[in-house]
Amino acid sequence: MRTADRLVTQTVRNGGPWLYVLALTSFTGAFTELTIPFLLGRTVDGLAAADPAGGTWLGACAAAVTLTAVCDVLGVQAAGGSGAQATQWLRLRVLRHVLGVGPAMTRRFAEGDLVTRMGVNAEEVGHAPESIVTGAALIVPTVGGVVALTLIDPWLTLTLLAGLVLIALVLRAFLHTTTSIAGDYQKAQGDIAARLVDALAGARTIAAAGTEDRERDRVLTALPLLRLHAMDMWRANALAGVRAGAVVPLLEVAVLSVGGLQLASGDLTVGELYAAARYVALGAGMGAALGYVNRLARARAAAGRVTELVAERPVPYGGHPLPPGPGTLELRGVTSDGLGEIDLVVPGGCSVAVVGRSGSGKSLFAALAGRLVDPDRGEVVLDGVPLRELSAEALGAAVGYAFERPVLVGDTVADAIGLGLADPDPGTVRTAAHAACADAFVRRLPRGYGTPLDDAPMSGGERQRLGLARAFAHGERLLVLDDATSSLDTVTERQVGRALSGELRHRTRLIVAHRAATAAAADRVVWLDGGRVRAYDRHLTLWRNPDYRAVFQAVPPPRGSSPQPEVP
Amino acid sequence: MKGRHHAPFRGPYPVNRPVLRALGRDPLQLLRLGAWSVAETAPALVVGLAVARAIDEGFAAGRPATGFAWLAVLGGAWLVAAVGARQVVLAVASIVEPFREDLLHHVVEGTLRRSASAGRGPGTAAVARSNLQVELARDALASVITVVRSFVFTAVSVVLGLATLIPQVLVLVLPPFAAGLGLFLLSLPALVRRQRDFIVADERTAESFAAMAGGLRDIAACRAGGRVAASVGHRVVEQAGAARALARVTALRTVSLTVGGRLPALLILVGTPWLLRQGAGAGVILGALVYVTQSLAPALGNLVQGLGMSGVRLRVALERILRSSGPPRPVAGLRSPSGAGVELDGVTFAYGPHAEPVISGLDLYVPDGDHIAVVGPSGIGKSTLAALVTGVLPPDAGRVLVGGVPAGLVVPAGRVLIPQESYILRGSLLENLTYLAPAPRRAVDDAVAAVGLTALVARLGGYSAEIHAGLLSPAERQLVALARAYLSPARLMILDEATCHLDPVAEARAEEAFTRRGGTLVVVAHRLTSALRARRILVMDGTSVRLGGHEELLASCPLYADLAGHWNPSDAQELVP
Repeated sequence: MRTADRLVTQTVRNGGPWLYVLALTSFTGAFTELTIPFLLGRTVDGLAAADPAGGTWLGACAAAVTLTAVCDVLGVQAAGGSGAQATQWLRLRVLRHVLGVGPAMTRRFAEGDLVTRMGVNAEEVGHAPESIVTGAALIVPTVGGVVALTLIDPWLTLTLLAGLVLIALVLRAFLHTTTSIAGDYQKAQGDIAARLVDALAGARTIAAAGTEDRERDRVLTALPLLRLHAMDMWRANALAGVRAGAVVPLLEVAVLSVGGLQLASGDLTVGELYAAARYVALGAGMGAALGYVNRLARARAAAGRVTELVAERPVPYGGHPLPPGPGTLELRGVTSDGLGEIDLVVPGGCSVAVVGRSGSGKSLFAALAGRLVDPDRGEVVLDGVPLRELSAEALGAAVGYAFERPVLVGDTVADAIGLGLADPDPGTVRTAAHAACADAFVRRLPRGYGTPLDDAPMSGGERQRLGLARAFAHGERLLVLDDATSSLDTVTERQVGRALSGELRHRTRLIVAHRAATAAAADRVVWLDGGRVRAYDRHLTLWRNPDYRAVFQAVPPPRGSSPQPEVP
Repeated sequence: MKGRHHAPFRGPYPVNRPVLRALGRDPLQLLRLGAWSVAETAPALVVGLAVARAIDEGFAAGRPATGFAWLAVLGGAWLVAAVGARQVVLAVASIVEPFREDLLHHVVEGTLRRSASAGRGPGTAAVARSNLQVELARDALASVITVVRSFVFTAVSVVLGLATLIPQVLVLVLPPFAAGLGLFLLSLPALVRRQRDFIVADERTAESFAAMAGGLRDIAACRAGGRVAASVGHRVVEQAGAARALARVTALRTVSLTVGGRLPALLILVGTPWLLRQGAGAGVILGALVYVTQSLAPALGNLVQGLGMSGVRLRVALERILRSSGPPRPVAGLRSPSGAGVELDGVTFAYGPHAEPVISGLDLYVPDGDHIAVVGPSGIGKSTLAALVTGVLPPDAGRVLVGGVPAGLVVPAGRVLIPQESYILRGSLLENLTYLAPAPRRAVDDAVAAVGLTALVARLGGYSAEIHAGLLSPAERQLVALARAYLSPARLMILDEATCHLDPVAEARAEEAFTRRGGTLVVVAHRLTSALRARRILVMDGTSVRLGGHEELLASCPLYADLAGHWNPSDAQELVP
């Protein structure tokens, strides 16, 4: 937890000047707040007795109230300002770090988890300084209220403490009952959501059958049940709130009674009685102070979760540009998690198919070839320069990756194709899209290349085509296609194949393939078997080997395995 | 099929309407709420009076019994308030629960209609998001009702209490209170704006984080880390800016609390000598202070906090929910077609005004009883054609007639579309089979036997078996959908790759069943064999269409020869792998 605390400390330091303002105003405000009941009481006593000191007390009262108000105003702004500043600093830092680490991050953390850590958790840490200050300042009126009450009469304090215990017990009972009711409630909600998802999957059937109204009623079957459980929750809520809410006022009444007796006997003035009643309310604020302790504990836990992100090592890039060259790719003794001792040279402008049974390491091979992952040992070299020594810009311009399930990043279709390009001009984007057979369907989208991705629901095949276009726009020297045409229909696949052997023929192409036809069309084939290169030769030569032929027979047709086959 | 883009309706949404409807639905509940609110705010009415009398006429006058009696009145008021508070929560609940149901109706109906017209539903995540918005709206409305109501009743009670205690004090209390309230109301629009900006900025930041986390591999592959960091970072900075702006107006809001809540107490003290001259005792002064500090100031504080937060949340959530309304209901005047012939006359269709048309100037005549197959590469518009014939999509130009009736006006029973993805609803197998039309047991048996569903019925143990999509394989789902269509009275069947998950033998059996059944058959073909069974074949290639027999097209249409000649080696009959 020590590193987590260090993160909180760093965040405090980066919260900006507002944090000091917050600390100052919180404590000043808290102490002043504590004096107000006493001052008010004295003022009433003084004025009632027509004592000239009454005026002085009144002045003090006015000053205290004004000071508290100023502190309040400044405090609210300072709290918001410092929290925003600290959160921003932390988020930007984590953001750059996560992007620097890259896909290794999602291998360790699930996507949703990652988003939570960067979003909610970072915010909790960002507001930690504020929680520390506000929580600490809250102790002042709480403890001060109890002390002041004790000074007036110790019995009053005992009454107060007994009441606080009562509130704690009530709140515990409440937590216990809600969890079971909440379970039923969430189940009814889940039923509605599940039915809606079902119905949405059958959207076309429903549209054609004109049964939207019937479906709406079917989806909402659980509505009465939902209402039932919701009302149970309201009831539980109401009960607990009432119990807790009635305790403090009744305590005040009790204190007034005890104090009233002392007033009658002359031990207490009217003003003191008033002050006692107010101090009960302040002392009962213990719960809120405890709430801040809880928030601080949460912030520490959140800091721990954010620290885990920062602990991952980012990918280091070299500073070298890529010298001119044909795109010759060399793997020298490359070893990585399950792939062993690979030595091979792909001449520039050559097309190479990578084949093998599933689990033979094809995707890892593809990832190594363009430095999506670094090998444990050995070196991958492009035109004489080890990939590790290249700058990020040089790598981005030289290597293009297309995947089986590309994730499109960007606001519009054009953004997604030109992702990360220094100068994504429309011509480049369009040429790349054309080669990937994406141009025609993109132009049919509501706003063509300017269509926001959110407004362009796409089939798996269409997404693959945009993924290919993106790769073509990037990989000037080397294209790595990792099963990137599995969801295309045969005609489209052949058109893409024609582009690869036509306008893109000067680039080195590495194509992970399942189909024999793809391997046959490549200049050479890398045949992976059990994490090793079994052969590196021409398809026709290899085809004589029954083991090689078995690779293609054993692979089931990708149709069933591809998540979203292309649907027009 | 691509989603048809609907221009989102921008501008002011009638967000007040659902709220007003919720409030006006059951006047009795409002009455109940009002009555219990009186009970809940009983302490606000008596607290100062009880304290004043307890001191002046009780403890300070040497009559402790009277003092205790007044304090007992106060304690009693608190107990009444406790009962009232509970009933208030329940009354509020019975107003906001129907409100939630209203919104859920709206969300479900809108989502269904929108995805029905787009042919594709939003993802599970979108469903969860809209459920969350409904929940937020309900909680926010509950909180707004609670806070506003409590403020009004407390303010009235305090004024009544003070008037009973010593009416002169109102001169000291009301002006600053009104000024504070006015200040708050004046600052409300700015607060609403800032709060809203903050909520939106927060959501946008979360969205961009999610998009980034999902695309880390692809971002790394494009070495776009720096650029993405800059664009997501921009969102982060925007969000922080919105938070700071919100803090500034929130701070200003605190001023109104000081003026409305704290100034009255000070003024009472300033006016104390004057009040004493008017005959007030020390207890009365104390009572007035108690009214102001214990009831009035907290009520104003709750209003300021509650309206500032919940009111805005309610508004934003309602805007989100109401924006998701679907296209209008279909027009009335649906008609039964005379016959099952299909006629397309110069039909053009595009997915947006700036998009290139998917289908352009298409003329096609399919006589009643014909059987045509539609083939072409994926994405070429085959499903769009199916949707146009079904009448789910209206053509931009030209007309589509089914049995002489415009396709959009054909009664649902006039034609059936069987899409690639079959709809299986949660219910019995029989419910699923008779979804389109009720049918006697004999007819169901026949349909099941005809399409080849007998084995599944046996496996499930009869028609009454409860099923859902997850229970069946994709092929079984398609068979259920086929049997369902077979049972409908429609004479026009549009099969849009409806047999793609079946093996070739099962597909042949199902298609032959539909041929025997009679009527017109339009089949978007998935395999070559499926095209070969048709009487005529329509080849779509993006710019033009060709219609003819297999041999004829093989000879004259290069695209068809291509489609027919280059199939997936793993499945020798697939047109589309």
